[in-house]
Amino acid sequence: MAVYKRTYKAYSGPLTPSWSRFTVLSRYGFQTLFQSRPFTAFTVLCLIPFLAGLAFIYVVNNASVQAILNVRFGQTPIINNAWFMTFLGIEAFMTFILTAWSAPGMISRDFANHSVQLYLSRPLSRAEYLAGKVSVLAALLSLTTWVPALILFIVEATLHGNGWWWQNLWMAGSIVIASLMWIAVVSLLAMALAVWVRWRIAATALMLGTFFVLPGVGGVMDAILRTNWGMLFNITYDLSAVWGHLFRLDDAARHAGGFDRVPLWSAWGTLLAVCAISLWILVRRLKAREVERS
Amino acid sequence: MTAVIELENLVIQLGSRIILDRLTGSLSGRCIGLLGPNGSGKSTLINTLLGFYRPLQGSARIFGKEVQTHLRELRATIGYMPESDAFIADMSGVHFVRYMAEISGLPPSEAMERAHEAFFYVGLGEARYRKLGTYSLGMKQLAKLAQAIAHGPRLILLDEPTNGLDPEARARMLELVQEIRDTSQVQVLISSHLLRDIEDCCDQVLILKDGRIAALCNLEEERKSNLKFLELEVSQGNGFVESVEALGCECATFGAGRLKVVLPDHIDLRHLYRLADEHSVQIRRMNYRRDSLEDIFLKAMSTGAPPPVSAGSTNGRL
Repeated sequence: MAVYKRTYKAYSGPLTPSWSRFTVLSRYGFQTLFQSRPFTAFTVLCLIPFLAGLAFIYVVNNASVQAILNVRFGQTPIINNAWFMTFLGIEAFMTFILTAWSAPGMISRDFANHSVQLYLSRPLSRAEYLAGKVSVLAALLSLTTWVPALILFIVEATLHGNGWWWQNLWMAGSIVIASLMWIAVVSLLAMALAVWVRWRIAATALMLGTFFVLPGVGGVMDAILRTNWGMLFNITYDLSAVWGHLFRLDDAARHAGGFDRVPLWSAWGTLLAVCAISLWILVRRLKAREVERS
Repeated sequence: MTAVIELENLVIQLGSRIILDRLTGSLSGRCIGLLGPNGSGKSTLINTLLGFYRPLQGSARIFGKEVQTHLRELRATIGYMPESDAFIADMSGVHFVRYMAEISGLPPSEAMERAHEAFFYVGLGEARYRKLGTYSLGMKQLAKLAQAIAHGPRLILLDEPTNGLDPEARARMLELVQEIRDTSQVQVLISSHLLRDIEDCCDQVLILKDGRIAALCNLEEERKSNLKFLELEVSQGNGFVESVEALGCECATFGAGRLKVVLPDHIDLRHLYRLADEHSVQIRRMNYRRDSLEDIFLKAMSTGAPPPVSAGSTNGRL
């Protein structure tokens, strides 16, 4: 119907599959994020560790380049589990900034503008709404964590040869699981804080506070109570402890990193609890916003 | 006419409070008005029809389908315009409506086309690329209407569509609702506390009071039935009154040519004109007494117990 025929007309054309509706939210989410040039620039910046890692692997596996650069790495394998864990740690820091930047705006603007009821009055469930929003972060963080790490893994396996692939295949699983765990924790937490405070700037501040101030509180608690349990308030520490286990760091390395100060189960438990509580806040807040009135 | 909305002993409880109490009725009008004072349960009923509240007891059906069990299917056929401001401030109008239409299931290209059409239809064509945050209140209301109709729903739920609008914008909004209603492709349910809005647009009205049905009447039939009760002022004419009575009408005379006439079903105004012509009587004034919606509403509000009424059965006399 042409726009000059100004009359109401029912729609009888094709519809998209019912299961795919949440992808509309993802698509619009990506469009909105990448409309910001600084954000796009920072996303590209997040790939610099990957490029540096790629170059490093090439140098390590190429004697002639080492000779040109006048460096020698000896016989000790350098590209190992600790190396990949360090790489993921750097990427995790970058993606933390990426999440603190993007996540609050993605969901808090729906809350601030009371538009949640418009989404949910359509054939879209609360779970699909959340899936649509979280999938934007999940895809973005995947592209800057486990995807480049797996590419590095494949490159190293290809260049190294001699059965490196089969000996270290478990590490590919560790890379994926460790990254997904980080993505789940950071995305759900960021979104839960965003819906809790509604104001984007406050949500970002709260996110930074959770990762940088709360560990300090835990440290004070440890000092006063002469215990180590305050370490659990440090989400980064909890993740490192779990990662140390996933990447099979030996006891000496774990001790040196301080990852053995609390039992492993408590670190897992804390991370799962953070995810569960965040999800609970999200669902609860969404339910309340369905029937919002000004 | 097929029922659009059927309520069967519907009870909604929020916390410990019963908000909707045993609502039973069938709504089949082309445009249904939902009236009631603040807190009477109008918005709760709309939210229940959207599946946001689960009934404690009873059920609500739309187009014959149980809301709770066919939620997804029904939501695809409903357009909802909420009472509160609901939009994404930093999106352009047409982008927002397209977004909403896509979530309703329209493919991107169709959604874009329909979004443009909807914006032109509501009269915001020129402002469609402006960000919604810059719109005036009236424009925001129209943009909300555009997002409610863009995906071509079969039922449109409008919650206080004229809230906060100036007279001109209000008239425009009502005109649009009437146009949409008259296309016969969609049914409309309007919740409002403004009697005039409902009277102008609706052919059926459900009045809620304290979460219960205070009245459910068919305004069309009400208007027709009121046509049968006439007040006349005629020049003196011999035999006119007797002839009118001979037709089977009940007449009461009040002197100075003033008459009150109740017409039976098979008699209409043409018969009176013919008789007036035969008796050389001038009809100087003719009024049909009409219960306004305000009368109906006030009667409903003053009634203690909710009357068990059904559409068209009471002719609005409560």
